[in-house]
Amino acid sequence: MSYIKLESISKSFKDDKVIQGLNAEINKGEFFVIFGPSGSGKTVLLRLLSGILLPDSGEIKMENAVINDLHPEERDVSMAFQNFALYPHMKAYENIASPLKANNISQDEIDSKVKEIANLLKIDHVLNQYPKELSNGQKQRTSLARSLVNRPSVVLLDDPLRNVDAKIRFEMRLELPKVLKEFNTTVIYISQDYREAMALADRIAVLYDGKFNDIDLPKNIYEKPSSLTTAKLFGDPTINNFNAVISKNENRVIAECNGEKIILQRKTSIENGECIVGIRPEDINLSNQQTEESLKVEFRTKTPLNLRIVFLVKLSNGLELLCSMSEEEAKNIKEKEQLYVSFKEDKCLFFDAITKRNLE
Amino acid sequence: MKFNIWSILKIFAYAAIILFFLFPIAWILNMSFMTNDEILRKVPVLFYEPTLKNYIGIWEGEISIPGFATMYIYFKQNLINSAILSSFSVALTLVLGVPAAYAFARYKFKGGEDIAFTLLSFRFAPALLIIIPLNLYFTQIGLYDSYIALIWVYQLITLPLLLWIVRGYFEDISPDIEYAYRLDGHSWFQSFWKISIPLAKPGIAAASLLCFIYAWNNFVFALILGSSAIQPVTVGALAFITASAIPYGLIACGIVVSVLPTLILALFIQKYLVQGLSLGAIKG
Amino acid sequence: MSKVILNNLNKIFEIKAGTDVKAVNNFNLNLEEGEILALLGSSGCGKTTTLRMIAGFETITSGEIKISGKLVNDLKPAERNVAMAFEGYALYPPLTVRDNIAFSLMKEKISKNEVDSKVKEVSELLEITDILERYPPSISGGQQQRVSLARALVRDSDALLLDEPMSQLEPQLRAVLRARVKDYIQHNNKTVIFVTHDQTEAVALADKIAVMEEGDLKQLASPYDISSKPSNVFVASFIGEPPMNILKAKVLKTETHLTFEILNDKDEKNFSIKYSNNELNKENLNKIANEQIITLGIRPHKINFNKETTNLEGKAESSTYHWLGDQVHIGIEIGGSSIISVADRNFQPSSDIKMHFPSESINAFNRDSEEVIFNGI
Repeated sequence: MSYIKLESISKSFKDDKVIQGLNAEINKGEFFVIFGPSGSGKTVLLRLLSGILLPDSGEIKMENAVINDLHPEERDVSMAFQNFALYPHMKAYENIASPLKANNISQDEIDSKVKEIANLLKIDHVLNQYPKELSNGQKQRTSLARSLVNRPSVVLLDDPLRNVDAKIRFEMRLELPKVLKEFNTTVIYISQDYREAMALADRIAVLYDGKFNDIDLPKNIYEKPSSLTTAKLFGDPTINNFNAVISKNENRVIAECNGEKIILQRKTSIENGECIVGIRPEDINLSNQQTEESLKVEFRTKTPLNLRIVFLVKLSNGLELLCSMSEEEAKNIKEKEQLYVSFKEDKCLFFDAITKRNLE
Repeated sequence: MKFNIWSILKIFAYAAIILFFLFPIAWILNMSFMTNDEILRKVPVLFYEPTLKNYIGIWEGEISIPGFATMYIYFKQNLINSAILSSFSVALTLVLGVPAAYAFARYKFKGGEDIAFTLLSFRFAPALLIIIPLNLYFTQIGLYDSYIALIWVYQLITLPLLLWIVRGYFEDISPDIEYAYRLDGHSWFQSFWKISIPLAKPGIAAASLLCFIYAWNNFVFALILGSSAIQPVTVGALAFITASAIPYGLIACGIVVSVLPTLILALFIQKYLVQGLSLGAIKG
Repeated sequence: MSKVILNNLNKIFEIKAGTDVKAVNNFNLNLEEGEILALLGSSGCGKTTTLRMIAGFETITSGEIKISGKLVNDLKPAERNVAMAFEGYALYPPLTVRDNIAFSLMKEKISKNEVDSKVKEVSELLEITDILERYPPSISGGQQQRVSLARALVRDSDALLLDEPMSQLEPQLRAVLRARVKDYIQHNNKTVIFVTHDQTEAVALADKIAVMEEGDLKQLASPYDISSKPSNVFVASFIGEPPMNILKAKVLKTETHLTFEILNDKDEKNFSIKYSNNELNKENLNKIANEQIITLGIRPHKINFNKETTNLEGKAESSTYHWLGDQVHIGIEIGGSSIISVADRNFQPSSDIKMHFPSESINAFNRDSEEVIFNGI
């Protein structure tokens, strides 16, 4: 059953239509990630949910009750800010205790709840320090603790791992889902790192120019994006794409691009004609051996990336392709000799040349 | 070698600056311990027998100067008046100005900037421009010669000052911090009281002190709008100048006594003052 | 030939009398012609100060800077023949993008045709051909950064200095532009020093990486060596996404075997890793003593799941499984320790995980000094 429901929410600032008619249903206990490039309206959307901003039109429902006009303090949501937004004149302990104090809870109970969450997030040793005395990682944990201490039914996290270094980010990627599961909280999480989104999310909503492009499981979004825009947002290096004319014979799909015939795969459901072909760098085979389906390429450079090796190669028609592979696989490639590429079976994506929608 | 010459020059420069600013103060302090005769000597003396006569005179309200009749002075009352006027002015300014400064910092409303600027422009206008009409109004509504009238008029000086300094402070507080507090379940007023005010405290303290000093030092309004019963020290000091004599020692003593309260206050919140002024300067 | 040489370079800022801050501490560097160097570190580590000293915008407290064999300590920036791209772009607003790029070529007395062809080449490379006639304020931040980069690349200089050259680039373009810029630099035999806080960028572009922290040079090596042979714990845990697993270990040596007992904060045993002595390097083996406590590091992608056997003692369970498209990240709980590993995208952990820590991927560091004892045994 859907727990939070967005019904054609819109928000503009002057002439700038930041959010344009969003619809979504979020389930109870779900880890829902809103992913989008900077400027896509993520933060504004989160502020609409928290009540800091009010939508121009549309309805936000929680458990079927419209909460559009409720003030932030009247909504059963909590939030962790990207810039932490800790109270500089209060110690970590008081920062965390703040949501409890708003609810007239006894001092003993406050104390035990603060200590419990601090223990869980491993900040029990810094409770007596002021925010400026905390490291970035500790600030981030304090801000998370504050948003979770009252066990809210919904917690909004605004890119909380953005401002911490890689080490803490990965620690938190492992720890955060565990902590949140324990609290059985519905999480709406903002990220502009697609890996973080895929790692954490039950479902991802891809926000682009104020609209949801896709709302789906991480794996589906990666493998079957609804449009080229989404496909480009997921994957590093970005998906290779080129305009081509597709033709099919009995057991081959052939793309003609700048006078070169490229054999893509064996079958596809799309019609013959012009389209954009997308192929992920890890779905291209690069080797020194020529096969029936492979094409000659010229080697340009290779660069290491995210524990993998990325090759930039150029087809004779001028088309550049990025191919990525593991370090072990890369050891077998002799870049001084002739190289050939072929496409892995059934991995090509086909997009409409004009609308950029996925054709399959 | 270069370094040494520079450091010596630096010391000289510091000394010159200190002498320039502190000499008048030191001289006034010096004079307050002298008798009129000693002050009026053609070749000023550096060594003399300090006397507390001037201070005692101010405290007791009367002093007899050799060669003249006994003078009666109301300086103690003036001091009390100054304290009342300045404190209540600042208090009223805080009550009115802090919420207003917050509103100007946080909410962009129609004409907001214009109102803020109009308030600031009160500081540009010469007081003499409005003093006569004010005098007439106050006489008509029966406020002439009352503390309330002066405290009211002092708002022209103190309110814009506080508004513009404190506004800069509120603007420096990230709104996210206030939102965070409200999301914790606190009301708007609680977030104003528990988050915004404490975080703007250095600015509020600095602005209050400045307001206090400006109110304390005001002369024109108090001169025209009140009788001697409510006049502050700035005006009260005039009474020393009589047809028969100008008792310089007494005047010096009056100055020292009237400067002391603001000085003590300034030392007390010096830490805030420096922070506050520098920040206010950048923001304002 | 050495192109850029830094000898005992120091920069000390005096904050208040008596409190000095060492922004750069005894920095030594020898950069060959055609090499690309990355100065890598988090903010405040001294990397930008170093770059600005080489460019001549910052005075040096002591030491020497040589460019093309010439001592340039006292030369003005313009006399050093270096090109620089600034983090804030510093484009000339009244000039078009094309003129911005061509500007530095004007004074080099080359024909107009040659200028045009150079501008064309570099703007194709950076995909800015369609905005050449526009003015800087009307283009996006990412485009401005590409123009700034183009302006620096096109110039013929002894050294190319780039401050965060790709930080604002559109993520979708980053990988391909990195590859092209690297290709261009190598083909034109340019010597490049660039500053970055992004290790992915440093690893992707540079021939050598200088990792800095608080003014100190922590390690200067090739990207491969930085990753596989970190010389201290700082570099080990700073480099890598995800970073190296860092564990506290007690060494146990016998006639036949070497065992690392992994300890928790309370010095209780979590699990252990066991090797037979005959698969190990004798020389490295002698660098650690029986019962010695060390810091042990292993990179997440070096953990091997494909072997039938395990050399770990302890029950391992996967706690998280993150599928990221081209790879998976797996969080593993073993005897109270948390370990992160990276595996192929098709890998699915079974309930009973068999992990193998290859001996050549074990890094040992001194517990106190945090300096390396060996990289791979």
